[in-house]
Amino acid sequence: MESLGYLIATLAILVGTFFSVVGIIGLVRLPDVYSRMHATGKVSTFGVVLLTVAAVFVTPLAWSKALVLIALLILVGPVVSHAISSASYRLGIPMKQAVRDDLAGKRVKAPSPPIQPARVERAE
Amino acid sequence: MLAYLRLTLICWLIYLAITANLEVANLVVGLLIGLAIALILKPMSQALSLRRLPGALFNLAKYAIWLSIDIIRNGIRVARIVLDPKLPIRPGIIAIQAGMKSELGVALSAHAITVTPGEQVVEIGDDGVMYTHCLDAIASAEGAEEAQRKRRAMLESIFE
Repeated sequence: MESLGYLIATLAILVGTFFSVVGIIGLVRLPDVYSRMHATGKVSTFGVVLLTVAAVFVTPLAWSKALVLIALLILVGPVVSHAISSASYRLGIPMKQAVRDDLAGKRVKAPSPPIQPARVERAE
Repeated sequence: MLAYLRLTLICWLIYLAITANLEVANLVVGLLIGLAIALILKPMSQALSLRRLPGALFNLAKYAIWLSIDIIRNGIRVARIVLDPKLPIRPGIIAIQAGMKSELGVALSAHAITVTPGEQVVEIGDDGVMYTHCLDAIASAEGAEEAQRKRRAMLESIFE
């Protein structure tokens, strides 16, 4: 029973680390803030959740606490990446290599007081 | 009254899960904290009725499993894109009609889209249109309506 736990933990650590590394590679390689949020979002879903699963099997972390942690991570992670990408769009940060943009020209509900589009330095 | 009790119970269970300690003193402290949170939050009474709870929980579990499979499948797809030497991305923002009336439904649809790697909701329009940024906008636009219909059916089975 104990060795089975270690097997699951090892697998979870390997897969979680792999996806975390892929997420960071994506953070470096992808062109703009919106695409990069996809890569970092993967670190928070796969990476952290799988490492928490591994921690249940090999450390004294209680499974109930891990369950609450995972639920909170899954609930809150997307909210964070939505907030960052939404703020970026409102600030007028351009997409790179975009094939379509259905949001272009639509009036985005301005928060009060309306924020002025910031001047964004294009890093070319 | 019932709403207060229900919120107290939920907070109590979460507190017990976090502390993972079933001593009597801890049970009492958790109950007091749950009660205090319920009194501060002032819950609304139109939440789930107890009679429908087992069905809703079953549907919630089904939804969680479906969502996990979706996350894993899209995670592998995005990993492949990121590791490809040519980096074959076609990013773009597509409009997806949520097709749900309640704000909770739209919010949960947007959550389900954003939690899967490769798609994320950037903005929600007045009429419940979710403007979704996709790493591969052309492929995502094809399956988006179908996926949203399935998502909506599952969410409605939980809440209605």
